Amino acid sequence: MKSNSVQNIKLGVLIVTGLIIFTLGVFFIGNKQNLFGDSILVSSVFKNVNGLQSGNNVRYSGVNVGTVKEIKFLNDTAICVDMLINREAGNLIKNNSLATINSDGLVGSMVLNILPTNQAPSPTIQEGDTLASISQVATADMLNTLNKTNENAALLTEDLLKITNSINSGEGVLGDLLKDKILAKNVQESVENLNETTRAARSGMTKLNGILNKVDYENSVAGLLLSDSSAQNSFRIIIADLQTASTQIKEISADLGQFSNNLNSEKGALNYVVKDTSFVNQLDQSMENIEEATHRFNQNMEALKHNILFRGYFRKLERQKAREEKQN
Amino acid sequence: MKTLSSYQSGLSSFFQEIGEMGRFTGRYFRELFSTPFEFREFLKQCYQMGNKSLLLVSVTGFILGLVFTLQSRPTLMEFGAASWMPSMISISIVREIGPVIIALICAGRIGSSIGAELGSMRVTEQIDAMEVSGTNPFKFLVVTRILSATCMLPILVIVGDFVALIGSAIIENIKGDVSFTLYFNQVFAALEFTDLIPATVKTFFFGFAIGLVGCFKGYNSKKGTAGVGKASNSAVVFTSMLLFVLDFIAVFITDIFYN
Repeated sequence: MKSNSVQNIKLGVLIVTGLIIFTLGVFFIGNKQNLFGDSILVSSVFKNVNGLQSGNNVRYSGVNVGTVKEIKFLNDTAICVDMLINREAGNLIKNNSLATINSDGLVGSMVLNILPTNQAPSPTIQEGDTLASISQVATADMLNTLNKTNENAALLTEDLLKITNSINSGEGVLGDLLKDKILAKNVQESVENLNETTRAARSGMTKLNGILNKVDYENSVAGLLLSDSSAQNSFRIIIADLQTASTQIKEISADLGQFSNNLNSEKGALNYVVKDTSFVNQLDQSMENIEEATHRFNQNMEALKHNILFRGYFRKLERQKAREEKQN
Repeated sequence: MKTLSSYQSGLSSFFQEIGEMGRFTGRYFRELFSTPFEFREFLKQCYQMGNKSLLLVSVTGFILGLVFTLQSRPTLMEFGAASWMPSMISISIVREIGPVIIALICAGRIGSSIGAELGSMRVTEQIDAMEVSGTNPFKFLVVTRILSATCMLPILVIVGDFVALIGSAIIENIKGDVSFTLYFNQVFAALEFTDLIPATVKTFFFGFAIGLVGCFKGYNSKKGTAGVGKASNSAVVFTSMLLFVLDFIAVFITDIFYN
């Protein structure tokens, strides 16, 4: 009798354990489908539900908040999707939120996403509310776009193939570049020259660096020129003056050019003076005559000093001169 | 000619056995709903079939979960779908593998046990003695055993499924650093009522088939002690085959109603 009761207890434990596991399984699955909790029924109308089924998850900001309860046709272009949303989550969802249907991963089942909007504050959803919907790009649409992209890529690669074939056969500038040996040699020489130039430039830069390193920036004139910011205005003025001077020099040189032209032309006295050889001879003769006349004039003047009429005047000048020397 | 007659004989004996089993089933239902009800014997058989099979079912389920996860993991890893492991394992175990494997285990243990027990009672004329003493042996021996098997198999399957999922979760925890919470969250996220309810309902039929075939083979055992072994053996073989047929029918009906 005691053995029977022990057996019955053990049996009872097994049955209860099995029933508890089964009940928990039913509860968790049902809870996931919002069958037991307090929920709100809201709906949304779509043109295309993209394979959404009853029981698919409803997500708000990525969190599962409910399930799709029913999908029904309203007319030939509108499909109404009823969804059960947890009361707790429903208190956070505004009635201006947007409903959209997406795929849960590339090969996953469909999910209904509720997206919050940044519009003006609005009340939370209530039983029977209808959320606005937006249609997302479906996988088929994506594949269509991808198909078009593939077609374009095929055309592009075909064109590229033609271009590369032309290049390989030596057609066009690029083909010449690749096939022409002389051009290749020239390019090679150019590159060598460029290398040499680069080497020289490097050497020059090294020397320049050396010079710059030797500059005493604090005490030398070069240092002053390079580092003194106050000299900047002076240099600016000097450069402006130089520009003015160069403009004036230019004008002067233009005048001189014109003068020279005039001089070279046969008109004018100076050209006559410069170019006429008979005039030079006459001028020489005149100069000799003037010299002789001067010599005779000097003799006359000397004679005039000894003349009784002018002797007094000259003695007066000598006395005045002697007086000035004495005073100094 | 001789071969043809042997085929005819085999075929007629097969149909005869099917017919007898049909009559046996009809008698079971008649006796089930008539008084008196052998409740004490029913509980005793429940204990024998349930509690005594629990260790075997638990160990089998645990190893099933471990092995199934270990074997599936590399393939899913190759596809970069290791995160789908809990979903795949749970649906496979709850829908199909758990009920069928555990039913086969129970067919081996319970079916053979019933066949041998009733067969030995038949050959030792204990069943005849019960009839003489005024006890209804069919009600006492057959109805209680079939009903016990029908009731206990679903519980054994539920426990076995749960233990198998624990075994799978342990492997996922060790190999994939998946916590038990995450594992069971994903399990229940993947499971639907359409996975759990039809799978549980069909286990009642599996239990009924195990009890019915075991009792039929044992109750109708003949030819002395050799008949006991034959009854026991044919009970296991026939039940195993019948389980697959029933499973196919169950899946077919589920597919019609739920997909």
